[in-house]
Amino acid sequence: MSTAMNFGTKSFRPRAPDKGSFPLDHFGECKTFKETYMRCLKNNRFDNSRCREESKEYLECRMDRQLMAKEPLEKLGFKDLVDDSQKENEAKS
Amino acid sequence: MLLPYLLRGCSAKYVQVALSSTRFCIGCCSIRGVATSRSHLFLRGIPQRFLNLSRGAKTHRRKQSQEDDWKKRNKTILTYIAAAGVGMIGMSYAAVPLYRLYCQATGLGGAAIAGHDTEQVETMKPIRDRVIKVTFNADTHASMQWNFRPQQSEIYVVPGETALAFYRAKNPTDKPVIGISTYNVVPFDAGQYFNKIQCFCFEEQRLNPHEEVDMPVFFYIDPEFDEDPRMARVDTITLSYTFFEAKEGQRLPIPGYS
Repeated sequence: MSTAMNFGTKSFRPRAPDKGSFPLDHFGECKTFKETYMRCLKNNRFDNSRCREESKEYLECRMDRQLMAKEPLEKLGFKDLVDDSQKENEAKS
Repeated sequence: MLLPYLLRGCSAKYVQVALSSTRFCIGCCSIRGVATSRSHLFLRGIPQRFLNLSRGAKTHRRKQSQEDDWKKRNKTILTYIAAAGVGMIGMSYAAVPLYRLYCQATGLGGAAIAGHDTEQVETMKPIRDRVIKVTFNADTHASMQWNFRPQQSEIYVVPGETALAFYRAKNPTDKPVIGISTYNVVPFDAGQYFNKIQCFCFEEQRLNPHEEVDMPVFFYIDPEFDEDPRMARVDTITLSYTFFEAKEGQRLPIPGYS
């Protein structure tokens, strides 16, 4: 489909991912986090905005187990969640 | 002897009529002048030799200078045409890099946009009123024996917000199999706004016998998607992955560096 050389048709150009490829989770170390996330999606009619906490936790699990390069969560688009948790910590203390 | 002069006289007359359409008096004078010289030539009384000497010299000189003018004009016109031809050839050579620059700047055809920066992920704001449904599709090559399927059929995302999706792959055979995947986004135009932060494509993934793994895809849709008028009616984006079997020692080029 993307190799059809018709004049004028737009073809799709795949792009490499920004941060490369996830190493495979052979031992299922983050499987529980994934199950939590999938359950949250099912409960919320697959709305991504409601399950961002769970996705953040899954990525944190990956980072802890060397299955993902460690990055500050703001760079992964979780800036609002990080700010919220910081505000909660400040409010508590 | 007279005939060439006659012919040149006729052509001169027609050229002057054509050229001096707005200059009536000058045209009239010249036409009258040529006509009278011709009519005089038909009179038998006056010796023709004599007539030609007096009138012919002037017209001959005028015609000679006219010929020179024409020759000069022809030469300049030919020079201009030759320059235009060379210019066209030069432009056709220059068009190749220029078109590439233009495509990079405007991102036509789904090609990588220059200035697509990864810092954007940190600062982008989700656009809450534009909900897009992302559906997932999984395929394998005919000779690839993995069971590969998405773990959710769809996810509702908004542009500017990162999202996580999962695929599952199982190797039912008794031998380790190495797979490599590529992806496709439909509609093609939306593909330029579909940015993957991390996924499992374009690199070899090895599955041991009877092993099952979860494969995540972490992506977001560029907030500029909302501002593109061509995307105004796009509500559904389909992400489709296809797994192929990789042979040992095979090195595939990473896309995006063409």
